[in-house]
Amino acid sequence: MITNLVIFAFVTGLLSGAVIIGAIFWTRDMGLHMTWWKWLLSAIWYGLLLFLLFAGFTFIGEGEPAAGWRTVGISVFVMGVLGMGMIRLLRKAPKVKG
Amino acid sequence: MKKKSINEEGSCSRREFIKIGGAVAAGLQVGAVAGAGLAAGKDPSTHTGWQHLGDNTQFVDRTKLVRKGPAYEIVGEILRPERQESAFGRQGLIMRDMRQYREMIQSFDAGEERQQGMGNKEPIPQGETAPEVTGGIGPPLGTIKFPPVEAFNEPMLSYYKARPDLYELDKVRMEEIMPKKKQDQENYGDYYSLINAWSGSWHTSERITDPPEESDFKIGRRRIGDPKPFKSPAHAARLIKKVAHHFGAAMVGITTIEPEWCYNYDLRGSESRDTYEVPKHWEYVIAFGIPHQWEQVNSNPNSGTSLDAYSRSTIAARRLETFIKSLGYPARRHSPMDGYDLIAVPYLVKAGLGEQGRHGIVITPETGSNFRAAFVTTNLEMEIDQPIEFGVKEFCEHCQICAEICPSGSISTAESNEDMHTRGYRHWEINQTSCYNFWMQSMGGMGCRLCLIACPYSRKNNWVHGLARKLDTTDPTGLIDNGLTMMQKKLFDAPEAQDYLPPPDGHFANYRQPPEWLQVKNYLDIEVSDPTIGD
Repeated sequence: MITNLVIFAFVTGLLSGAVIIGAIFWTRDMGLHMTWWKWLLSAIWYGLLLFLLFAGFTFIGEGEPAAGWRTVGISVFVMGVLGMGMIRLLRKAPKVKG
Repeated sequence: MKKKSINEEGSCSRREFIKIGGAVAAGLQVGAVAGAGLAAGKDPSTHTGWQHLGDNTQFVDRTKLVRKGPAYEIVGEILRPERQESAFGRQGLIMRDMRQYREMIQSFDAGEERQQGMGNKEPIPQGETAPEVTGGIGPPLGTIKFPPVEAFNEPMLSYYKARPDLYELDKVRMEEIMPKKKQDQENYGDYYSLINAWSGSWHTSERITDPPEESDFKIGRRRIGDPKPFKSPAHAARLIKKVAHHFGAAMVGITTIEPEWCYNYDLRGSESRDTYEVPKHWEYVIAFGIPHQWEQVNSNPNSGTSLDAYSRSTIAARRLETFIKSLGYPARRHSPMDGYDLIAVPYLVKAGLGEQGRHGIVITPETGSNFRAAFVTTNLEMEIDQPIEFGVKEFCEHCQICAEICPSGSISTAESNEDMHTRGYRHWEINQTSCYNFWMQSMGGMGCRLCLIACPYSRKNNWVHGLARKLDTTDPTGLIDNGLTMMQKKLFDAPEAQDYLPPPDGHFANYRQPPEWLQVKNYLDIEVSDPTIGD
């Protein structure tokens, strides 16, 4: 049965594909030498951002706007700070052996 | 060279397109997540995790479907419906006339009186024989003989004369179908034991007026039949739980009776108001809970009520009691509307539905404190459940939200319940009298329920609170406990304890605003004095 959840999963799946392909080109053009752990770190950061926004808007939807906007605000701030730190990490060139 | 440049431009364009597309997709994904979050939060089916109780179940917008003109085209004389037009309504009239018909035949056979047509109680003159309407042949007692048309009283007499086709159909039903049904019931009735028990359970409402030795063994005025054996106690427990859930119970547990947890006075249906022996057939206790409707319970203490969950749990208990009785086992319900012969909280704990919290009531993993309990006692042997532990004791020791928000200060702020005991048992205790005094001050449906809804476990059943509950109940370190309590206090606003009091000390605050459909200003054209605004 096609439910709203199925449609949501389908759309976000498509969008995720586009985000991943776009991210590959962004990292190349920005000169980032991506390794597996950098990709993993980036994915965790992005996933956490989406998770926190999802939680914040769920609070708003359930009739707790104060809690919701606080969650969104704190999440954006914290994830912004973490994101800047992560960018510094991503810019580190991998060590060349020998 | 020129060709290469074009290729480079094209390549660059595609690259830029993919990059911009990726960025846009990320933006859309953030938007989709935000929208999904809003939808998840609003979804009424997540309010209590019990059933859909929102006011938007009628999801088709009918304003776009409106047509002009009357509901029906008028093509003849307009008449009000007569009772005999409905097959169900006609059945009552048929049975009434058939009773008279049978009585008349019996009277005739006894030679006592003559009746020309039913309802005519004139004596039969000496020497007369059977009335024409019977053809002189009376039906043997116990068999169904459908009377001839002329034997019916008005309005059936005229109706059958006008509708001989329906007379024939009714005759077939009474003379053939119903006797056959009775025969089928004797042959195959056991096969349908459960569905018949289930079906009969839905219209139970009689009051308990007899002591357990009487009322627990009767459905209405009918004595219960022989008990139908189950495959095993585990099968019995499984079926009873399934049925209770279908009757509306969100949580169900089964345990054994503890006489110490039965009230020592006022046994329902008993003439004596003093102590009594706990009936021997109360061996097992089926305990279950049904949550309050979210919209109104969230707006306690002045715009909420207990009666929604009271009513639902009572009706479920009546149905479950009848279901068990229909299978041949004595049963007695204990519920908010019909009264209890036992104490609720300890049985809920013993049956594994939850743990007793600082506020004295039970916290369940599913709906927190937001539920009302009912019970059925019976001797149907069932597999029993065990008490559960999911960190409530430790949580309550450091949480204290209910104690801080309680307008009457009835909930203890002690660090633990080590020094508390009631009738020999250690558990959290509250000051019931000061609590009750605040009930009497609050507006709306009498009562408070603020501790019940402020409890962090009593959140909605959507994904975010569900996840929090799951993490909290499986975390042995207590870190998540502390984190969630901190988040509850920092993120979720609530009025102070004083605000819930009546003016002038407070202003009849509510934990949350009542739903729009419970606000007088939105629907009634009356002047009201709003105590919740200003001083």
